[in-house]
Amino acid sequence: MDTPASSSSIAQTEDEQLRILIADDNDSDRLILQTIVRKEGHTVYTAADGQEAIDQFKEKSPDLVLLDALMPNVDGFQAARAIRDLAGENLVPIIFLTSLKDAASLADCLDAGGHDFLSKPYNRIILKAKIQAFARMRRLHETVQKQRDEISKHHDHLVHEQEVAKVVFDNIAHPGCIDAPNIKHLLSPMAVFNGDLVLASRKPNGGMYVFLGDFTGHGLPAAIGAMPVSEIFYGMAQKGFSMQDILREINKKLKRILPVGVFCCACMVDLSFRKESIELWVGGLPDIFIHRADDGVVESFRSKHLPLGVLDNEKFNVDSEVVPMRLTDRVYIWSDGILEATNPEMQMFGEEGVRAVFEKNTERNKLFDELLEGVEIFTGSAEQDDDYTVVEVTMVSEEALGDYFNERGKSSLAGGPKDWSMTYELRPQTLREFNPLPLLTHLLMEVPGLRPHSGKIYTILAELYSNALEHGVLGLESDLKSSPIGFAQYYGQRTSRLADLNSGSVRFHLDHNPIDSGGELKIIVEDTGPGFNFEAKKDNEHRTEGYCGRGIPLINTMCKSVRYLPPGNKVEVIYEWCVDS
Amino acid sequence: MVENPENHVDVEQLSELKDIMEDEFHTLIDTFLSDSSSKIEGLAAAIGAADAEEVRKLAHSLKGSSSNICASQLTEYARQLEHMGKEGSTEGAQDVFEKLKMEFDEVAVILKNEI
Repeated sequence: MDTPASSSSIAQTEDEQLRILIADDNDSDRLILQTIVRKEGHTVYTAADGQEAIDQFKEKSPDLVLLDALMPNVDGFQAARAIRDLAGENLVPIIFLTSLKDAASLADCLDAGGHDFLSKPYNRIILKAKIQAFARMRRLHETVQKQRDEISKHHDHLVHEQEVAKVVFDNIAHPGCIDAPNIKHLLSPMAVFNGDLVLASRKPNGGMYVFLGDFTGHGLPAAIGAMPVSEIFYGMAQKGFSMQDILREINKKLKRILPVGVFCCACMVDLSFRKESIELWVGGLPDIFIHRADDGVVESFRSKHLPLGVLDNEKFNVDSEVVPMRLTDRVYIWSDGILEATNPEMQMFGEEGVRAVFEKNTERNKLFDELLEGVEIFTGSAEQDDDYTVVEVTMVSEEALGDYFNERGKSSLAGGPKDWSMTYELRPQTLREFNPLPLLTHLLMEVPGLRPHSGKIYTILAELYSNALEHGVLGLESDLKSSPIGFAQYYGQRTSRLADLNSGSVRFHLDHNPIDSGGELKIIVEDTGPGFNFEAKKDNEHRTEGYCGRGIPLINTMCKSVRYLPPGNKVEVIYEWCVDS
Repeated sequence: MVENPENHVDVEQLSELKDIMEDEFHTLIDTFLSDSSSKIEGLAAAIGAADAEEVRKLAHSLKGSSSNICASQLTEYARQLEHMGKEGSTEGAQDVFEKLKMEFDEVAVILKNEI
């Protein structure tokens, strides 16, 4: 008697075995259906009315439900709704069993959440085909759900990773001065993953570096590039390296780590508040604007270089432009996002859009906000979509930035060299190519307790070195710098004379002696120039305006003594320091 | 014995049903007969009370089970009663009901013979 059943189930070996709930109040119909379904190899649960069907569904959670439409108590339509609620986001196919024939009744079945219907008298072949079709649909639904969950898991994971990366990045970027009172910037909080980067750091000599980078691409490749750029920038800026050195180092690093086709369009600005000038390097970014305070004239400066990370360092060019700046003159740097901001008609904001904002401006303090508003109005989006980056840097007096030199932490007095002297002579080839200041500062910072003074010491060394090199060895006239035209001439001459230099030297003599709660540092800088009439210059020493001349008076305020030694090519500075209590 | 059982049931389909049900065929016939008897009693009462809705429900149910048991003529009478119930009128229902009852008796004999 087993034979017919087993032969029929052998034919079903390819088919999935389901758990199926059959609800029909008609005992004989239920018996027929149950027998057919069981013979197809499925497990059957039965219910004689709608309420029983709901209860059975809760208990057994079957894969598929065959539901009679008209039943006493709770009918099939109500039961279908309840079952669909219970199933939640799982797909449980419901097939209505009905001898109803009119279109409206059949539509009711589907409205109530039924997926299909099966007419009485039951046809075994049709029933089998429907069960198989819904088993396939159910598997498909499960696969889609699983994939959706996986995608959502991956997405959460990615967002989490970006957040972690952002924290790491912020930790690296932390020592910056992007919040300085003379800087305004717009940068999305997650801009690092859009490839945009804004960095700002004070320099040991009191100046400031500002850097805007725009990596090609998005996401991880852009973020990976941002990390070393940030670390090199802050590390080298604080040690007093020149803008050229920093750019070279960043370029070298990016060239090495970034894949071909990924690079960093960038602009770096070196602000000297004492000299009231900036030095600009632009590689691949849109034109930089300088907005003049007195007459509202806008000067633009074109990119003259390839982006960072494209060229080998031998071909990489760090030539920069020096531009005199009056107080409250402003520099604007931006990524191409602002020019490419599009309105609903697919037109771009462009340089005309930017220039229009500048022309309309009446109050300079509002220019930055007007610029952002201008883009917003143009694109017609109230929301800041944040895919562009803008920085405004204002020339201010150094005092307006607050005291920078005392913000460093204390360091241990234990160990390290305290009682020593050294002489360091730089000859023409070195003078042409090498900046000795980071090295000397680094050496001095090995003296225990001296680190908090690094800013002042760097300033002193830098001033004495540039006097010795520029006036002593190169023979440049400092008077030249008192006019904007002369200023440019001065730097032109400096570059050409330095390139041709083949004689002369600058000699540093450093001598440190420990005293009770600190030490005394003697710095002698001697050059091979003819010297100058320091007695005659004395009257001018306290001059504090114009394009030059702030250096020596400033050093006077920092040091115990400043002495010129005859014939005027040698200066001796005594810097006395004690540990802050 | 009923003459010409093919006038009352679809013989071919019934034999197929028998194959499918195997041992359960016996139970199925018993279930159908007792179920239908009580529905027919119910129909008699509903028609007497002129309760069209009740006639519709019972006739609908009887139509479904008769069709599954391959009793085509019985299905047809049940369908006519269901239609009347749906129209809200029990007029003429008694005549159809009498035919249905006689048909049921014939079908019962045929089915019992099949066991």
